[in-house]
Amino acid sequence: MSHGGIDSSSKEKVMALEVYKVGKTFRSDTGTSVKALRDVNLLVRQGELVTLVGATGCGKTTLLNLIAGLDTPDEGYLRLGQDLRFGGNIAHVFQHYTLFPWRTAISNVSFGLQMRGVRRTERLCRAAALLAKVGLKGFENAYPHELSGGMRQRAAIAQALAIEPKLLLMDEPFGAVDDSTRTELQQMLTDLWQENQTTIIFVTHNIDEAIVLGSKVIVFSERPGKIACEFKIELPRPRDRMNNEFTKLFIQIRTMLSGQLD
Amino acid sequence: MPRGVQEHKKLWRLSRWLGCPSGGYFSELRASQTGSYLGWIIMPVILLVVWQFAAVWLNQPWIFPPVTLVIDQLVHPLREHYASGSILSNTFISLLRVLLGFLLAALTGVSLGIAMGSIRFVRGGLEPIVEVLRPLCPIAWLPFAIAVFKRGTLPQLFGLGYTRTVFDQVQLGMVFVIFVGGFFPILTNTLDGVTGVRRNYLLLAQALGAKRRRVFWHVYLPASMPMILTGLRQGLGLCWFVIIAAEMLPGAESGIGYLLIYASDNAAMDIVIAAMLIVGSIGALLSLMMRRIMSGLVRWHGKEI
Repeated sequence: MSHGGIDSSSKEKVMALEVYKVGKTFRSDTGTSVKALRDVNLLVRQGELVTLVGATGCGKTTLLNLIAGLDTPDEGYLRLGQDLRFGGNIAHVFQHYTLFPWRTAISNVSFGLQMRGVRRTERLCRAAALLAKVGLKGFENAYPHELSGGMRQRAAIAQALAIEPKLLLMDEPFGAVDDSTRTELQQMLTDLWQENQTTIIFVTHNIDEAIVLGSKVIVFSERPGKIACEFKIELPRPRDRMNNEFTKLFIQIRTMLSGQLD
Repeated sequence: MPRGVQEHKKLWRLSRWLGCPSGGYFSELRASQTGSYLGWIIMPVILLVVWQFAAVWLNQPWIFPPVTLVIDQLVHPLREHYASGSILSNTFISLLRVLLGFLLAALTGVSLGIAMGSIRFVRGGLEPIVEVLRPLCPIAWLPFAIAVFKRGTLPQLFGLGYTRTVFDQVQLGMVFVIFVGGFFPILTNTLDGVTGVRRNYLLLAQALGAKRRRVFWHVYLPASMPMILTGLRQGLGLCWFVIIAAEMLPGAESGIGYLLIYASDNAAMDIVIAAMLIVGSIGALLSLMMRRIMSGLVRWHGKEI
């Protein structure tokens, strides 16, 4: 469609990820098979913040793992943008086990740089700057168990950003923190995204979160996981949850998801 | 500050350092102070007093020596006991043997454990042998070890012959038995540690761009460090167990275990009990030392997130 030159915004933005008719089936040891994904088509452009929302167990995480290269699809294909490489400039933030418990915050953040052979002084310098950016100045030498849940996720985001990713995959990263912390983290992520224009694919089961963050919201249906609907969100940031259009969208997605539950 | 309070504090700090389990974490200072007094001062004093009275009343020091005789031995560790040497020299010889055997066990046990944990065919090939040899009491290896190493000592191994140093007392057979004693707990704990590394940490490392070899150094090794250290602690404890038993068997001619059996043959029960106290104390100190090292090295242990 970008060849047509009709949609000017999509013309100037390069494709970061193309998912084409992807399917994935899991077989258990007992022989039963579960179709996790079916016929998933998705196009992500560079600089987009795409949120995937759906009920727990609908295959969002499976899709994210396929994109991350941690698993391979049974049907269809995935194509990454030209400058994207697995284990290179694609970062992943998980919900749990986001940090190495045996490393301090700064040493966790510098892990990716260490793996890339960056000199110690330089990587510590860059890690310290990133920690300051996510609001963890003064916690450089704290171990993960000494940090609160929200602080851990901040550190995890800094850890992912340290490798200067072109694509950031986030798997319910704020799923285990309380509401007010969650709001803070969402604001921080939005700020970081606006500053760096990194492409982000963000998985969540929280509709509110999906709308607050996403420049595009993808609604997933359940079993087998399939994309039910796509919304382009053009509400100004920071987004107001009390805004009419916001609530309308919320209700629309909510009905769509609860409709499937029946 | 009155002198009494100062002493009290010093003692309390000492007992804390020794890690004596007095009172829970949240119990008040006062309660834990009483706890440490009870276990470290009051009970031992009662025991010693009862012992002293009983021994004096029995009046058969070759069977049940009074405390005073035992203390007399303990405060004269350099006193020569005929052919067997002094308490101090024998203790030193035992420690030297244990140190060598333990280092050997640690080196091989940890590396083999890591290899078995991370390379499938190494594990498949070695596990049955390990499972059969592991339950075998290390002392059972002694006749075999003596047959193989004869009376060979450490200096002889390096072609130095008789060096007139303490190293002449380090028989290879003994070192081998200690090695066997320490090897299995170190191996199995390391193996458990490596195989128990959470997949999530491997994924995280992979996502951050770690290659196979670096995953080994930066994930497998640190993640299994608590188990490795547990293995080393158990291994060292077992080494110390084994050496005493090995030295008590015929064929030994030095070491604290030998002194113990030699004194027993000479009806010197005061030396026997002094040696027992020394063996127990050193065992406790070794365990404590390892625990200190462990809590210093793996601050995060048990606090995984």
